[in-house]
Amino acid sequence: MGEVEKVFISGLSEKLTEDKIITEKDLDSEFATEIIRYGGKDVMTCLQCGNCTGVCPISLKIEYKTRTTIKYCQFGMKQHTLNTRWVCATCYRCYEHCPADLNPAEVMIALRHIAIREGIIPPFVKAAAANLMQFGLTVKPDEAMIKERVKMGLPDLPQTKPGWSQVRKEVVAIIEATKYDRLLGITSKEGVE
Amino acid sequence: MTYAYFFGCVIPSRYPGIEYAVRWVTGKQGLNLDVVDIPEFSCCPVPGIFYSTDRDTWLALAARNLCLAQRGKMEVMTVCNGCYGSLLKATEYLSEPKRMGQVNKVLSKVGMKYTGIAEKGEGTRRIFRPVSVRHFVDVIHTDGVMMELAKGIKKPLSGLKVAVHYGCHYLRPTEHTAIDDANDPVKVDDIVKVLGAESVDYEDKLACCGAGGGVRSHVVELANALCEDKFKNISSENADVIVTPCPFCLLQFDNSQKTFTKRGIPVVHVAQLMAIAMGADVGKLGLELHNVSCNPLLAKIGMVPK
Repeated sequence: MGEVEKVFISGLSEKLTEDKIITEKDLDSEFATEIIRYGGKDVMTCLQCGNCTGVCPISLKIEYKTRTTIKYCQFGMKQHTLNTRWVCATCYRCYEHCPADLNPAEVMIALRHIAIREGIIPPFVKAAAANLMQFGLTVKPDEAMIKERVKMGLPDLPQTKPGWSQVRKEVVAIIEATKYDRLLGITSKEGVE
Repeated sequence: MTYAYFFGCVIPSRYPGIEYAVRWVTGKQGLNLDVVDIPEFSCCPVPGIFYSTDRDTWLALAARNLCLAQRGKMEVMTVCNGCYGSLLKATEYLSEPKRMGQVNKVLSKVGMKYTGIAEKGEGTRRIFRPVSVRHFVDVIHTDGVMMELAKGIKKPLSGLKVAVHYGCHYLRPTEHTAIDDANDPVKVDDIVKVLGAESVDYEDKLACCGAGGGVRSHVVELANALCEDKFKNISSENADVIVTPCPFCLLQFDNSQKTFTKRGIPVVHVAQLMAIAMGADVGKLGLELHNVSCNPLLAKIGMVPK
């Protein structure tokens, strides 16, 4: 699985350093508070039993262990969580199997919220949000598929009808009201293939 | 109760055959359910992207869709696990009065207000019921509809070995999605059995396909590696076809198989399999648009592929 690690380490520059001595200045005492604010409310109550890691499909494949990530969050070792923020498949198996009924998946989601607010935005998030603002849907309508739809006798795609501009306007208004466009640095004009 | 189709983003633009199958199965030739279109529906929005990065935006966009169903006093019928998980979770979030107030403040910019559907209570009181979000499989798997389905089968799929893949957001988290047993789901298996096919049991049946949560978009090699595990387990039981109720799982199996095998197993949506058994025009189900050829499947059930 060497290739996989290369892929996500190249995206985010930090590298895990196991032999490095961690001093107090490497720790972020506000990290857990921040995670709780973004919805990972169970982060400090984890007892480190490891059931979540045993059932996690991603933990089987790469150097990402749910339990370890939760431990890093509890200690405030922010640097150590940077590599693995975007690999959770949000399958919620960890939540299903947690004996204390905690929700590790929500902690991973909170880590993503923090990443976005620090400016680490993966291209696919930006592309999907830009598509939503331009087309009103996250998937760009495909010309070949529109032809297939005609062959099948399906109704026209709503986004090709004149009434769709109103829908798009509403979606853009909501995104602007929650300031999501400014958070990601996108506008309603640009669309990404 | 009237249902509103919610096809989402992937089905109409990537797998229109699923849309045809769902419309056919729920339409006059099929089970004759009361389902209408709401063309103003936008993206659900995608949980792996919007729920993961900004909950307020996610909730407001989901509430907009729910408002449209609320206006027509309808139940939302989703055909995708992602849309199902996203919208259902949104109704749970919106049952908190504080959240609902925040969301309505945003929605007021587009002239909408989410309250839930008003119903007559005792005397002059009104009760507000959250907009109900149903999965296509859940709608089909009710007593009356299942009996209709059993009656409407023109071409039983006897001898077909089906590997059912449920998909994560159909099953979990159970606090939101309690339509099936999270550790021993039965609904899609039941539908497959009614169609006359055999549902094979395979190892790690409830494992993730590897696409969700942005994994396929971000680290495609990891998504393929997870799919390969799934594929090995399924092929060791000699299954003829993979059936899933989720178009994103379908997309994952369909695109990922070519990276590790030459002899892929065809993968179809449960609605497409139902449409085949109920006698729909196979040429219109969009099976030729799938990357993994569905011809072995058609040959197995005695239909000559075009």
